[in-house]
Amino acid sequence: MEIVVCVKWRPDTSEADLTIGSGGKDIKKDGLDYDINEWDRFAIEEAVQIKEKMGGKVTVVSVAPEDAEEMLRETLARGADEAFQLWDDAFEGSDGYAVARILANFIKARPYDLILTGTLADDDCGGQVGGMLAALLGIPSSTLVSKIEVRDGKIRFNRELEGGLYEAVDMDLPAVVSVATGLNEPRFVSIRAVRKVASAEIPTVGLEDIGLDEAQVGPSGSRILIENVSMPPEGEGAEIIRGAVEEVAARLAEVLKEKGGIR
Amino acid sequence: MTKNIYVLAEHRKGHLRDITWEAIAAGRDLAAKFGTELACILLGSEVDAMAEKLSRECSKVLVVDDPIFETFNSEAYTKALAAILQGRCPFILLMGNSNSVLDLAPGLSVVLDAALATDCAAFQVLDGRLTALRQMYSYKVNALISFKDAERVCATLRVGAFSYSPAGGPTGTIERLDSPLGHEPLRKRFLNYVEAEKGDIDVAGADIIVSVGRGIGDEPDMELFEMLADAMGGVLACSRPIVDKSLLPKYHQVGTSGVEVKPKVYLALGISGAFQHLGGIKGSPVIIAINKDARAPIFRVAQFGVVADMYQIVPLLTEKIAEIKG
Amino acid sequence: MTLLEPADVPIAGIPSQFLSPVILAVAVCLFCYAIFKRIDVLRKAMPDPRFSDLGVRTKLALVYGFGQWRQPRYLGAGILHILLFAGFLILSLRSLTLIGRGFSSGFHLPFLTGTAGFCYEVLKDYAVLIVLVVCIVAMVRRAVFQPARYAHPGVQGHESEAYIILGLVSVLMVTDMLYDGSALKAEGRTAETFLFPAATLASLFMPGHDAGTLNYFHIGGYWAHILIFFGLLNYLPVSKHFHVITAIPNVFFSNLDKGAIKPVRWGVEDWMELDEIGVSRFQGFTWKHVLDFYSCADCGRCSDNCPATSVGRDLSPKMISIKAKDYAYKYYPVFGTAPDPGEVKFTGDIISEKEIWACTTCGACEAECPILIEYIDKIVDMRRYLLEQGRLPASLQKPMQQIKKRGNAYGAPKTKRAAWTNELEGVEVRELKEGDSTDLLFFVDSCGSFDPRIQEIARSFARILSRASMDFGILGQDETDSGNEIRRIGEEGLFEQVASKNIDAFRSRMFREIVAFDPHALNAIRNDYPERFPVLHASQLIERLLAEGKIHLSGNYLEDRLVTYHDPCYLGRHNGIYREPRSVLNRLPGIRFLDMRRSFSRSFCCSGGGILLWYENEEEKERMGERRVRMAEEIGAQVIVTACPFCLINLEDAIKTTGNEGKIEVIDLVELVDKYTSA
Repeated sequence: MEIVVCVKWRPDTSEADLTIGSGGKDIKKDGLDYDINEWDRFAIEEAVQIKEKMGGKVTVVSVAPEDAEEMLRETLARGADEAFQLWDDAFEGSDGYAVARILANFIKARPYDLILTGTLADDDCGGQVGGMLAALLGIPSSTLVSKIEVRDGKIRFNRELEGGLYEAVDMDLPAVVSVATGLNEPRFVSIRAVRKVASAEIPTVGLEDIGLDEAQVGPSGSRILIENVSMPPEGEGAEIIRGAVEEVAARLAEVLKEKGGIR
Repeated sequence: MTKNIYVLAEHRKGHLRDITWEAIAAGRDLAAKFGTELACILLGSEVDAMAEKLSRECSKVLVVDDPIFETFNSEAYTKALAAILQGRCPFILLMGNSNSVLDLAPGLSVVLDAALATDCAAFQVLDGRLTALRQMYSYKVNALISFKDAERVCATLRVGAFSYSPAGGPTGTIERLDSPLGHEPLRKRFLNYVEAEKGDIDVAGADIIVSVGRGIGDEPDMELFEMLADAMGGVLACSRPIVDKSLLPKYHQVGTSGVEVKPKVYLALGISGAFQHLGGIKGSPVIIAINKDARAPIFRVAQFGVVADMYQIVPLLTEKIAEIKG
Repeated sequence: MTLLEPADVPIAGIPSQFLSPVILAVAVCLFCYAIFKRIDVLRKAMPDPRFSDLGVRTKLALVYGFGQWRQPRYLGAGILHILLFAGFLILSLRSLTLIGRGFSSGFHLPFLTGTAGFCYEVLKDYAVLIVLVVCIVAMVRRAVFQPARYAHPGVQGHESEAYIILGLVSVLMVTDMLYDGSALKAEGRTAETFLFPAATLASLFMPGHDAGTLNYFHIGGYWAHILIFFGLLNYLPVSKHFHVITAIPNVFFSNLDKGAIKPVRWGVEDWMELDEIGVSRFQGFTWKHVLDFYSCADCGRCSDNCPATSVGRDLSPKMISIKAKDYAYKYYPVFGTAPDPGEVKFTGDIISEKEIWACTTCGACEAECPILIEYIDKIVDMRRYLLEQGRLPASLQKPMQQIKKRGNAYGAPKTKRAAWTNELEGVEVRELKEGDSTDLLFFVDSCGSFDPRIQEIARSFARILSRASMDFGILGQDETDSGNEIRRIGEEGLFEQVASKNIDAFRSRMFREIVAFDPHALNAIRNDYPERFPVLHASQLIERLLAEGKIHLSGNYLEDRLVTYHDPCYLGRHNGIYREPRSVLNRLPGIRFLDMRRSFSRSFCCSGGGILLWYENEEEKERMGERRVRMAEEIGAQVIVTACPFCLINLEDAIKTTGNEGKIEVIDLVELVDKYTSA
């Protein structure tokens, strides 16, 4: 089975204090740690587990600059067989559509049965690339997938709906499957395991090799423009609600309603 | 050229979902700003009643009635919408950012050759151009987006961001379209729903969470908190000590070694705010904390706090919520 | 009358001068063969350098081996064993003598003739009686009182071993009594009760004038003794009583490097290049570890003191030794062909993952074992293997990754490592840059830097140092997690990384010594780091400051409450620092102090520090911290003082969950001294 996993290299913003960069079009990224998108980590683990069960090969691809090499090497340490870094300076500033385009052009030239990725990346929080990639390749796709079973050229899985409801879905392969977090337990990768793949080659694939031209990538190839970014207005620690219990309860109920806590 | 503003109606198990009304609210607003009318697209099976309801809120409802649309299928919807929207440029297609639309919007936008902005919290029209406000970077940063090609735009709306109020205007027209689908087999097939059992609550996906911690004591009345969670339309979660005391099963435990949650609202009862617990709360929910200890760390991260015995507040709170829901 | 001697009586026509050497040869050959087969397994195991410091080792063998130094820790069983052991030593000469009697009657060992011989005979007779009584008492005790630590939960087949050996030894004594008793009776030496109590006792049961019967007892007793003796000798290498032979060598070869974890493979610098690391197969253990398995006497003292066993986790250290020994006996048998282990994996099947992760490395087992069997290195070696397979408990994965990325398990950015100093009023804490010099390097470690509760300890310590006018500084951003638990979880690669970062930071600054209030950091720097730096614990520094008059204690924070002290594992057991914290406490004016039942080297682990703070065990029935708080309740303590930040966190947690909030206070020694020096 040929499995391709698309992963994203992005700054880890979950715990960091963020500030807006000069120019107001992006945040300041130089103090931030970069790492693999959390959702994609689950995707790689799933790919490796499927390979361990059914045999085959796992190829990891990322549209990312050379700093991402360490991350790609870690995916090899996790059990992937080969990794590719797709980059050209022209790729900088690509939106979800442009990234999907780059990935589609690279992947379509290779054999693939299943493409796995995370549903969402927590930097742009867009959730677009998986579905767009599938449409560009002309194959079906699905998101928030868990409980995957691959059999006879088809893939069967559950996907999350709302309120604890799931739907069971059946899809023909080849397809793009965007996984939900928590569908497996990503194995621990020790420093030694990474050291063991230290000499593995991770080729960089540029604009020409992918067969696109500058107008199709980066800002020119994007369909969305970020006009500006800003920080939402800050609170000052908890607003303490005081008073008699009746008043407090009433005010709390109000707050809940305002903030969407009553449905 | 006048823009066509469309809203995709979403339904499940025979009922229109709330997000549809929110999308209509947004759509109406945009239609007003662009000086045009709003149309709703309904793909369903035997949906006359739904179409009728929609027509009371939109000036036009485009209906495709085909048994294949009884349950949601992104492949079928894509084919149908591509056919419907052909020749209706320029258009803005609004959809709620539900989990079903998560499957639909990206692929659809490629087929429609349209730009796509997801999870938008607000829209503005600047100089006749549509812009959308959404959040990035762990939902901590606001971003204003515009679309390069104004001719074809798809946007999905954040659930709960647009509040709906009934138009109560004259009924619109219902236009029935022929099903553009042939009988080609779909490559993606819905099999069945998998219900969460009563005990199988999805804490991780919940938007509204009532979370209990050590402060509830040793022999608490869990029903009290379950009732509160039900009243709020949310799920019950907890911190580790509660699971240790076997008061709740493990999948209710929020924390770095429990479930990771990304709710909109997190009501923390008797939770001190240890980092292992807080580490399980992602995104930027509105945290409301009730705790007897004024120095509890939770008050540093909460937006609202009450320093009191939760057993005095919770029953009253549940009452007040019931009153609000009317 | 005189009785016939064995050397003069042929058995079934065969002269004893023929029988004796044959029996001797057969027994000794069998024995040597068994020993050879057992040693062969050691040869196939991993290397372990245990031949240094022969003088120290000899002393250990004398003190712990011959001196039975740890036996009295369980007084009843200890006395029994010491008597048994002494008896064995004394009677070994007797056995040699008796063997000789098979060759020529009246044989005596060269130095045991005349008065010396007579004295020995008396001594030996007492020994025989004492050993017999001890064996009977031991059997009764085992059968009636059934001490919990002798149990074998989940493993069959060892119930009768103890009774077999006690029975055999008893019979051995009885045969000797028959041999000597019959001679005593025959020679009419009935007035020698207090010289030869054993023989006299036996003689009471014998007919006075029946030479024939007496001869039967005499000769029969002799040959029975010989056969049982050689039988016992050959039973040792195939039973749990192998310890009789291997115990003293085990002590001789014991670990001299306290507090440190063994390298991944002795003698291999570039361990990352090895094909497999850690212990997955039995042969992954070092030869000394295999010797440990052989030597386990099944006494159960380790498990009796193991906090994990105590709270119901799957781990019982004794069972690891027993199961490993069973494995060795089964798959490396003395006789017969070795069966094929097939799919059975040593790590994972024989020793389960749950057992392996349940250990907090507190060292109570190692501190208790009378023959210095080691456990921590073995657990770490098995963890190393599991980690390479990606099998780390889920609760530990996130903090491990945070340490990789941020240098601390809290996931806090490195840049904020010194932020705790901001809330320190009136005290300037220097952040030492490269090239800076100071007197004292205060190693704060991750918990002190990022955990809000522990930051209070860091501030208290900074205040104390400031009051003492000490010249001190911190590393700030250049400090990385000390790595103590990372190494013990088995991530040696990450440990090497954090250690080398810290060492680089140390090297590029000048200081006289490092001080830490975190015993885990102390332990890593003092014992595990490849480069040594002088390091001491806050309690030691405070004692010194008090002695030098640099700080003075006054105040009444404790207000007559009863105070107890909880010995942290990494301060006490692993680094031998018991006295200094108590010495500081005893200087507090008006203090009322009482140690808990389990203190000093018997202290009860709080459930672990470093990254183990995140570990969640599903089997335990109670948290270790809660058990410890109950021990404080037992003595009516109102204040528990500790000297480790992780103990503080675990115990404070337990105060809440045991409903002792407001009744018992937990406070760190540093915080306490801060309060008493703030005047």
